[in-house]
Amino acid sequence: MSGYAEHGQLPLDGVRVCDFTWIVAGPQATRILADLGAEVVKVENESHLDSMRLGLQQDPSNPSINGSGFHSNFNRNKKGISANVHHPDGRKAVERLIAQSDVVIENFSAGALSRMGFDYERLKELRPNIIYVSMSGFGHEGRDSSYVTWGPTAQAVSGVTYMSGLPDQPPAGWGFSYLDHTAGYYGALATLIALHHRRRTGQGQHIDMSQVETGMVLGGVPILDYQINQREFKRIGNRSLRPSLAPHGMYRCAPVGTDDDRWIAIACEKETQWRAICGVLGIEHLMNDSRFSTNTERVEHQDELDTIIATQTREHDQRKLMYALQAVNVPAGAAQNMADKMEKDPQLRDRGFYQTAPHTELGVHRFEGFPAHFSQARWRLDRGAPTYGEDTVTVLRDMLGFSEAEIKRMQSELAV
Amino acid sequence: MGPLDGLRALEIGDGGEVAGKLLADAGVDMIRVEPPSGARSRQTGPFVGDIPDINTSLHYHYLNTSKRGITLNLDEPRAQELWRNLVNGVDLVIDSTGPDHLDQRKSGYQACSDHQELVWCSITPFGRTGPFRDWKVTDIVSMALGGPPMSSGYDDHELPPIRSDGEHSFAIAGVYAASAILAALWQRGSEGVGQLIDLSMHECISATTEGAFANWEYLQSIVQRQTGRHASVDLSAPTQHQCADGRYVLLLGGGIPRSRASWEPLLEWMDEHDAADDLHDPKYIDVIYTDPRSHAQERDHVADTVARFARKLTSEEVYRRGQSMRLPWGIVRRPEENLDDPHWSDRNFFVDGNVHGHEGVVRYPRAPYRFTSSPVGMRSRAPLLGEHNTEIFSELGLQSDELTELAITGVL
Repeated sequence: MSGYAEHGQLPLDGVRVCDFTWIVAGPQATRILADLGAEVVKVENESHLDSMRLGLQQDPSNPSINGSGFHSNFNRNKKGISANVHHPDGRKAVERLIAQSDVVIENFSAGALSRMGFDYERLKELRPNIIYVSMSGFGHEGRDSSYVTWGPTAQAVSGVTYMSGLPDQPPAGWGFSYLDHTAGYYGALATLIALHHRRRTGQGQHIDMSQVETGMVLGGVPILDYQINQREFKRIGNRSLRPSLAPHGMYRCAPVGTDDDRWIAIACEKETQWRAICGVLGIEHLMNDSRFSTNTERVEHQDELDTIIATQTREHDQRKLMYALQAVNVPAGAAQNMADKMEKDPQLRDRGFYQTAPHTELGVHRFEGFPAHFSQARWRLDRGAPTYGEDTVTVLRDMLGFSEAEIKRMQSELAV
Repeated sequence: MGPLDGLRALEIGDGGEVAGKLLADAGVDMIRVEPPSGARSRQTGPFVGDIPDINTSLHYHYLNTSKRGITLNLDEPRAQELWRNLVNGVDLVIDSTGPDHLDQRKSGYQACSDHQELVWCSITPFGRTGPFRDWKVTDIVSMALGGPPMSSGYDDHELPPIRSDGEHSFAIAGVYAASAILAALWQRGSEGVGQLIDLSMHECISATTEGAFANWEYLQSIVQRQTGRHASVDLSAPTQHQCADGRYVLLLGGGIPRSRASWEPLLEWMDEHDAADDLHDPKYIDVIYTDPRSHAQERDHVADTVARFARKLTSEEVYRRGQSMRLPWGIVRRPEENLDDPHWSDRNFFVDGNVHGHEGVVRYPRAPYRFTSSPVGMRSRAPLLGEHNTEIFSELGLQSDELTELAITGVL
């Protein structure tokens, strides 16, 4: 473990979030807030079920809305209520929740929450200093605001896809919804910024996020370069153009059992590191080869150099080579897959990154941790995602003040 | 007025620029502290006119908007003293110099512990503890260990896993750091105490690989990288296609609509080009509503036919007309191509600024969010090396002759 006591307050204790999010980007935002102690209440309804509830199933042969480990990982620590906003009593429950919340957050397509009767004006009537965070693909403002995106769509339009890949191949892009993570991270940050602003001024506000924008900020340097130097962006694969370094890349290692897809990342920033690489790989003769005598020469002859290095790394075990290179201060790291990270990474293990928590139907599982330790606070992992409507009764009774009898009636009328 | 106006901060080290920018653009008075030779990113191109200069790196300009800049050589005891004085006057410190660097110079969190309300965020490649804490990394090494490359690349696994350009390890850690800092400041507002945050870049990246986690934890499956689309356990249909103009589009879900409201307009559009083949046959409607694992033959046929159609059009047409029928299709743009898209002008996404050494206005991306009542975005261009030395050290009570002396003796 980290050496820090896992005790103290939850930093966001006392903050309440009314959470309409679904799929990945929105739940990623509220996951961070919930990990840090905010009371996040997810509002769901079967008529527009979060499709990630039917995502990766623990038991694929018997799918269920409570069976997704994927959903659980992104929605841990949250409370879950079911409510039908098109029924007067269901709406009343949601309105009471909003009135008692600091934040309302959603990632529907632009206009969807408004069509459910909860535009920003209505939210303000219910809670005058509400912070309303909308996370749509293109934002609520602007001529293309009706465009629909999933993570990969936003990645394509923003430039993020184009930036990833080999120069002589099509874009490789990202093999997952990177911008769902990213939009979620920025969504959590925007919420925190707005909370501080409200604490100082008393004012809430609407934060209008666009997932494509969260990708465009990742391409800021090429955007400046184009305007100033008229240079179009070009892919560089795994090489390093700025700064210009060689060797620099992803090199294939020896198979591990039947797995022949093992690679190591190696970077060389200094001459001492070049000599150390030559030593570890047994290519000391290259130290005296004029093609590789300086970084400039090595960059010039990078194709030949990469071929030589890859021939050597192919003979080495990925992890042993990583340790050998790090032992002589060379930046090197195994290209880890998920099994490597969860079962073989001593750093993540030592830091206690993967922790366990129960889920009502899936049982006890590991979850990804929060990537920071606090000296006077803790993050939490109390439980996995709520099963559908798991907390409806307790939230309606204990938080929103409905009587047991009212709740029973609302349930019988499918209002909640 | 920025939403975080009134907060003061110091940023030191090369790995916290994104965190510093995010907070500075939101109103924090962020003072970037550099060695007299300048931060590493000042040496990183591109430069204005491709001429390397300590003050014209576009890389530095982009990542240091809204900050003020000073120099301090913390190897010098006098500089350490000035640093501690500066720390006494701020709310937060972003420190990415490494687990021990500042401690060894009497300038770390412990040396500043008299300031009880201070929030100090240490951003390091692996955290301040653990067997890898002193390991060397660059962006590609951090990303490799954290996992994104093993999910990203090409169908052909003779080609390597791909680390995207753009220094994403710092971007991912930066936004986590900014959030952790604001959470700690929120707690301070309630309880009056500051604290040390130990943030690990490796953990930030490790938490950023989406479905790979659940596939392993719940099914003991490893996802395999594929060209331009999600990694998956079993090979999936291509989604990225090259259009008639040579550019790529993304047809999400193999281009198969998710509702009848999109399916019918799509068929009409295909009919205009005699490209619908036999898709009017009602049996294909089922692919809209059913699980991707069923109707495999029909799905493949629909996906193939739609892709063949899209490849005959221009990328812009596929994107715009597809979106007009609510298909979540995208055009694969270079980052700079968004400068010309009027939608972003409607949203004031690009804001006018300037770059030292370049005449004229330069448009910067605003910030990844649009605050409607307290503007967030660039307040000023990045500082020149030591630009605010006089201003800031005067605030500490130093006279101009002292400042000159400190500069000559290599303290500043």
